[in-house]
Amino acid sequence: MSDTLSSADAHSTDPAPQSSEGRRVSGVSIRLDGVTKRYPGQDRPAVDAVSLEIPAGETVMFVGPSGCGKTTLLKMLNRLIEPSSGTIHLGDEDVTKQDPDQLRRRIGYVIQAGGLFPHMTVGTNVGMVPRMLGWDKERVTARIDELLDLVGLDPEVYRDRYPKELSGGQQQRVGVARALAADPPVLLMDEPFGAVDPITRQRLQDELLRIQEELGKTIVFVTHDFDEAVKLGDRIVVFDVGARVVQYDTPEAILAEPAEEYVADFIGAGATLKQLTLTRVNSLELKPVTSASVGDDAAEALARARAAGDEYIVVLDRRGRPISWPTTAEVSRMQQIPATVDEKLPVVGLGSTLNDALDTMLAASQGGAVVIGRRDSLAGVVSIETIMDAIQRTRSEVAG
Amino acid sequence: MWDYVLDRRGQIAFQAFQHVSLVVQCVLLGSLIALALAVLVYRSPRLTGLANGVSAIGLTIPAFALLGILLAPFGFGITPAVIAVTFYAALPVLRNAVVGLAGVDRSLIESARGMGMSRLSTLARIEIPLAWPVILAGVRVSTQMVMGIAAIAAYVLGPGLGGFIFTGLSRLGGANALNSALTGTIAIVVLALVLDLLLLLLGRLTTPRGIRV
Amino acid sequence: MTAATGRPDTGERPDPLRRPEAEQSASRDRRDAASPVRARGGWRALVLQPVLVALGLLAYVVWRSTTTLSDTEARQLGAATLWDSVLRHLQLTVVAAVIVLLIAIPLGIALTRPALRRFTPLVIGLANVGQAAPAIGLFVLLADWLGFGFGTTIVALVVYSALPVLRNTMVGLQGVDARLVEAGRGMGMSGAAVLFRVELPLAVPVMLSGVRTALVLLVGTATLATFIAGGGLGVLINTGITLSLNSLLVSGAVLVALLALAIDWLGRVVEHVARPKGL
Ligand SMILES: Nc1ncnc2c1ncn2[C@@H]1O[C@H](COP(=O)(O)OP(=O)(O)OP(=O)(O)O)[C@@H](O)[C@H]1O
Ligand SMILES: [Mg+2]
Repeated sequence: MSDTLSSADAHSTDPAPQSSEGRRVSGVSIRLDGVTKRYPGQDRPAVDAVSLEIPAGETVMFVGPSGCGKTTLLKMLNRLIEPSSGTIHLGDEDVTKQDPDQLRRRIGYVIQAGGLFPHMTVGTNVGMVPRMLGWDKERVTARIDELLDLVGLDPEVYRDRYPKELSGGQQQRVGVARALAADPPVLLMDEPFGAVDPITRQRLQDELLRIQEELGKTIVFVTHDFDEAVKLGDRIVVFDVGARVVQYDTPEAILAEPAEEYVADFIGAGATLKQLTLTRVNSLELKPVTSASVGDDAAEALARARAAGDEYIVVLDRRGRPISWPTTAEVSRMQQIPATVDEKLPVVGLGSTLNDALDTMLAASQGGAVVIGRRDSLAGVVSIETIMDAIQRTRSEVAG
Repeated sequence: MWDYVLDRRGQIAFQAFQHVSLVVQCVLLGSLIALALAVLVYRSPRLTGLANGVSAIGLTIPAFALLGILLAPFGFGITPAVIAVTFYAALPVLRNAVVGLAGVDRSLIESARGMGMSRLSTLARIEIPLAWPVILAGVRVSTQMVMGIAAIAAYVLGPGLGGFIFTGLSRLGGANALNSALTGTIAIVVLALVLDLLLLLLGRLTTPRGIRV
Repeated sequence: MTAATGRPDTGERPDPLRRPEAEQSASRDRRDAASPVRARGGWRALVLQPVLVALGLLAYVVWRSTTTLSDTEARQLGAATLWDSVLRHLQLTVVAAVIVLLIAIPLGIALTRPALRRFTPLVIGLANVGQAAPAIGLFVLLADWLGFGFGTTIVALVVYSALPVLRNTMVGLQGVDARLVEAGRGMGMSGAAVLFRVELPLAVPVMLSGVRTALVLLVGTATLATFIAGGGLGVLINTGITLSLNSLLVSGAVLVALLALAIDWLGRVVEHVARPKGL
């Protein structure tokens, strides 16, 4: 990661390297002043005099009805669309005064389905920008592996595959890895998770939260899904037609006090229930659990589990990621801890919401879930009772 | 040029009629043959592959070469012209008909059979109508292509506008050579475009409304 | 004029806005990729074709060495003379093909750039009307203008066979997913870099099939060179017809058909090999 940080420093023009919560920040702030876009032949501007300040290292979500100008605004940030008027600053630099290609190499850009080049391998896709920036071969190779690892894909397995040989969720991960390749301070994402199924989307969201925890980029993220906005965003911008900023605030504030009727409509029914989306697994007390690595002696692991009073043993692969959780009864019939991957293993991230955790457990018909933290490593387990208790508490708090 | 055309308008009209008549009849004949073949083969992947191979290979054979080969057994006249033109007319239709029929959604056929339609009426009422736009596209390709081939057929004394071109060739440098060649060429271009438009119109009129694009 | 045509699949006039050809060929490619049976079928066809050519050639050689020929025939069908005719035919084909590539590919690229895109319908429309012209008419008209000979033949061949390459270049480039182009620009690739590293590689399959079509078209059309003193295998056919010498006529016809099949096969092999992996 040291490489990441040093090159990030080179770009970073933001004076504050740490945000108030002491999180690592490698992003820069973005400032828009009276940004307007008029498409030829249309009487109303698609984006009308938008001014906005996005703090360094924060994730800002753009939500609003279809056609309100979110994509247009986003693409003006990396000048895929030229503003008709107004200025945009990244840190101290005026975006409009730079060579667009140079600019874009320093801004990560993720679109739906990843936009991966189908005729290039995963590795080539990810290494594209570093190569354009003239990095030497070894550095590029090392970076590719590091990034694939970061997004939870084993480099050995996936580096030389072609995009069509990946699932939709995996393609999206590679898309994120590619955008992060040259360690850009800013990441632009346009409905990146719009085309994947709900379970995969939730995993990708967790992944993004984890990565952002580690890297502290400035992320601008367009979404149609208000729950996604609440889950991922440090702040949310609610737009109306012409990219009029209706409300720009933290998710908590927007849920508690929608600025206009329009926002309340947009949030939809059950705003109080959406508060649940704000409570995360990391606010719960996790239970420690006995773990064992693939190939370990089963009897020894069993003894440890019995001593700790656990009914399960979480099996970790050689990279420390949970792959199954056999009961002690099952383990007692084994010689060695097997490498079998349980496809249905309920896994949630520390950043997952209580809703997500509940969904995951119900989808897997399990009474609990394995919680993972940094780099998919084991953080503990959480039971359905703990979640239900927390939900009850939140509801009564919100109600009272 | 204009005088030349006016002087010979009778002859031009006659040859144009012959040209179009040769082309239209051969395309009709070729299309029927191709459709029959396609219906015979499209259910078997092996035969389908064979049919596609035949049409691909057939299309690589130069027309002048085929006309030459046909001269040996049949001699000069209309027979080699008709055979060659029909041959080339059939190939694109064969290919498209096979692709079109094979492309009909299996579930539609099953539901047709399921409601008691016989194989034959499924073919006639479901499969061919659905494949019709693709088949017709093949017919348009055929027509365009054989308009030109029919011009070469004039060299083996087939009927049609090719005669003007070859007359022009034989008198090149002499009076009216250019006029003659131009007349033949332009007439063929115009007639080809007209036929294409007519086929387009036919397509509009005969494509079931539900699958029109 | 020749039987080989640029559009075996669809009769749609290539309308740049609707691209039936690209869609059709794309869906066909997808089927090839999806089904191993079909892919194997593809390979079988690739093996079958040269076998066919070899058999044809063998049959011809056997016929040639077992038939007694008249003096005229023997002179025309001597090994050296035949070989010269074949070479000359190839020369016509290859020279014209190279010129076609040099003109049609850059033109196709230019016409798909945003700045020139509005001329696309015009150029395609013109090319289509041109395509409806009979090749023999084109040869004669050009000969009247430029005189007989090799040069005129090349011009006629180029004019006649440029369209498939031009059209497939454009269709191939237009068929590239606009989001990939945007992804490329979005990550900081220059317009040229996106063209050379994303658009052209992805358009290669469609472009190559246009090139193969053009090559086959060229082999066939080059038989007409005989009428304007351009040489090639058409001379054999033509002499055979005028002198009623069936042996000449059949020799020319068979050899040119075999040549077309061989070149078509080569084109297919190249297409198979040059298809970008991952598609
Ligand atoms: N290239 C373009 N040319 C002309 N008008 C455009 C163009 N792109 C977008 N527009 C118009 O600008 C407006 C804003 O479009 P934009 O794509 O930014 O909306 P959006 O908020 O991203 O919508 P969605 O949520 O559906 O993605 C729309 O009315 C759209 O029709
Ligand atoms: Mg959008």
